[in-house]
Amino acid sequence: MTLDQSRTAVLGRALRFAGLRPIAESLGTIVLGLIAGAGLMLIFGSNPIAAYSALFTGAFGTVADALETLAFATPLMLTALTFAVGVRAGLFNIGAEGQMFMGAIGATFVAGLIPLPAGIHLVAATGAGLLAGGAWALLPALLKVWRGVHEVISTIMANWIALFLATYLAVNFLSEPGRAERTTPALETARYPVLNEDASLTAVFFVAITFCVLVYFYLWGTRAGYGIRLAGENPGAARYAGVSARRAIFLSFIIGGFAAGLAGASQIIGRPPAWSLYATMGNVVTIGFDGIGVALVGRNHPIGGIAAAILFGALQQGGRLMEYQAGVASDLVRAINGLIVITLAVPEIWSLLRRRRAR
Amino acid sequence: MTPRVEMRGIHKVYPDGTIALRGVDLLLGRGEIVGLLGENGAGKTTLMKILSGLLRPTRGDILVDGRPHQFQNPGDALAAGIGMVYQIFALVPPYTVLENIILGREAAGVLAGVRLEASRAQVLRLIEQTGLSVPLDVPVESLPIGVQQRVEILKTLYRGTSVLILDEPTSALTPPEVSDLFAFLEGMRKGGNSIVFITHKLREVLEISDRIVVLRGGQVTGEAPTAGATPAQLAEMMVGRAVVPRVTRSPKAAGEPVLAVSDLQVANDQGSPAVKGVSFDVRAGEIFGIAGVEGNGQSELVQALTGLRPHTGGSITLNGAPVIHLNPLDLYRRGVGHVPEDKARFGLALNFDLAENSILGRQEEPEFVGALGRLNWTRILGYVRGLIERFHVVAPGVRTPVRSLSGGNQQRLLVGRELSKRPVLIVAMHPTRGLDVASTVYIRQLLVQIRDEGKGVLLVSADLDEVLELSDRIAVMYEGAFLGVGAAGELSREQIGLMMGGVAHVGEAP
Repeated sequence: MTLDQSRTAVLGRALRFAGLRPIAESLGTIVLGLIAGAGLMLIFGSNPIAAYSALFTGAFGTVADALETLAFATPLMLTALTFAVGVRAGLFNIGAEGQMFMGAIGATFVAGLIPLPAGIHLVAATGAGLLAGGAWALLPALLKVWRGVHEVISTIMANWIALFLATYLAVNFLSEPGRAERTTPALETARYPVLNEDASLTAVFFVAITFCVLVYFYLWGTRAGYGIRLAGENPGAARYAGVSARRAIFLSFIIGGFAAGLAGASQIIGRPPAWSLYATMGNVVTIGFDGIGVALVGRNHPIGGIAAAILFGALQQGGRLMEYQAGVASDLVRAINGLIVITLAVPEIWSLLRRRRAR
Repeated sequence: MTPRVEMRGIHKVYPDGTIALRGVDLLLGRGEIVGLLGENGAGKTTLMKILSGLLRPTRGDILVDGRPHQFQNPGDALAAGIGMVYQIFALVPPYTVLENIILGREAAGVLAGVRLEASRAQVLRLIEQTGLSVPLDVPVESLPIGVQQRVEILKTLYRGTSVLILDEPTSALTPPEVSDLFAFLEGMRKGGNSIVFITHKLREVLEISDRIVVLRGGQVTGEAPTAGATPAQLAEMMVGRAVVPRVTRSPKAAGEPVLAVSDLQVANDQGSPAVKGVSFDVRAGEIFGIAGVEGNGQSELVQALTGLRPHTGGSITLNGAPVIHLNPLDLYRRGVGHVPEDKARFGLALNFDLAENSILGRQEEPEFVGALGRLNWTRILGYVRGLIERFHVVAPGVRTPVRSLSGGNQQRLLVGRELSKRPVLIVAMHPTRGLDVASTVYIRQLLVQIRDEGKGVLLVSADLDEVLELSDRIAVMYEGAFLGVGAAGELSREQIGLMMGGVAHVGEAP
């Protein structure tokens, strides 16, 4: 064994003990992802340095840009949480998209159609989104717990049902009079305050962060969270410890549903300028699915998910400038972002696969 | 004369930095059986996986008949006549024996399917030559382990192997099956074949091998012709110090039964009966040992007693009260501690840290849970530090994943946790399997100590020596029932060995 090898081994061990290894791995893959994206740009004749500096400037160049990045990140950290809590309980829950639609509908209904006093209205609209998302998660949760229906199948189906149900409700019951393309906007009393006039970030950002942190404490700091993680980590050990796997699965689904519902609501009552749901679902669509990637990059950890969501937000926000300043075609921007995301997700996908195989 | 195989200066460093071998030399002659002896983790299996092409050495040379070879995969090694039978068989359970033997080498037409019959004659000839009798047309999954092993050996020989490596071949065999295996190995040796026999059982290498090579910590620590070698000398080479493997146990009068089992019936996962009417009791202050070859219903019995599996008939009484459909948590509250057979599957969550594992099964306790169901980490950390100290667990820290601990330290943590539950009955299955000598002795001592403290211990183990050494009373389990129960002195090793093979009374024909 060479000195170099032993040094790497010692370093690896030190990182593992400090619990920093996942973070080091993620930082390493970010660099790899950027290099891969640069390769792609070179092939298509763009200047990677100009493009990346545009990407960075676009995402963090001004205070407004940075806030816009956070606005993009807000719903993503929540839908990432949906997937992450699922993985922690041993589930592959890809139902965030549908739960997010229902959350948006719930928030739209309370925020736009039910006049309530200020303060209470905001809480009620947020709660409606949360609960609607949780309710939509009940279906796959109960199917899994009672009948053993695999969550991938049930959540995919529930996603489609939610898309069309939400569209139907938005068009027929919630639409703004005289404007079929969107729902009645949230009343002033149900809107989160905008933090800076030049950006669309609102105080809902803090609600999202708080929710992620609370879930983190729930999973790692409470008896019930311990049970959820144990059931996902080793079902045999959960049985041995008298932890009910069904309860763990159910709780994980419901928490995930709350998170996704909140994500949907955040786009209605916490995101100018629309303050409403488009009939095409255009202002919320794919937020649920994007959360899967965010969760993988964030190593299926609630706090990691916050960091990963900010990175995704930066790619979305900065990608715009990359497009019109560095002249990178919009499809290429998306391809580069995709490449970075895939590279970032590799370590977690790898460990997920390893865990499944080990079973 | 050129040796059949020569390994020179073999080093192996695994990608995670673990050094498995540090310059090992090994010679293997024609018509020679080499016993490769060493504790778990000594590097025996790694060395042989390198020889059989499954692993590549970090450094070092392999010479076959004097010519250097670099095996990229097991196929290369097989081409050089080297084949290995692994501890975990690589058979396709629903395929027949014949299909398994010829798998990958089947005679097949270009368009036609597999021509089984063309291979049958060849396989039959092989069976005749080797004396390894197996039925050819039954699915492998229906056969006992001993027969499956013969299939595995035939499969290797069918590929033209003349250097046969066997990894712990006797670990799951009954004594009669071991004799059959040894007779076959004698025959192989007479035919000029070379055999490497990996084991950690002294008695076996002394019986079958010509030469013994001892590995410890990835190095050869001793090499001797079998004739003249003594167990004490080999053990010394194996563990690097004089072993005191026997645990002292003073006679002690047992008390009242803590566990009474009557006509217990338990089904296996497929729903067929695995435990068929077993009755016994475990008294306070005794170790009740259940011996037997694995797969005779012991797992199902233990799972039924610890709440992991319902029983289908009969009754279980714990401290005088009946046990009906209780889950493991209920049973723990009634005083049952459980050291499960497979700690990675039941007893520990390997990716959880020591603190998290220390409350596995105790996560509901007021001692560790505060308001709103919050875990009191301060208390838990104090408690796990106590466990580590009391049970001599070597760990880098309480927040380290248990995966990074050695098997012995994992088991110390697990046993310590179960004892912390202040049980009246400990159910321990294979409690020292795969552990180093020090941990083995330590765990055994703990079991005796628990007994001395007046608790009941139910010990289920496939290791006959362990059962004989520790138990006050012994039962032998065979095909779901007890073939015999007796006080420790009443049953001889030979009697138990026969019963493990299904022979109930001495003198009866097998």
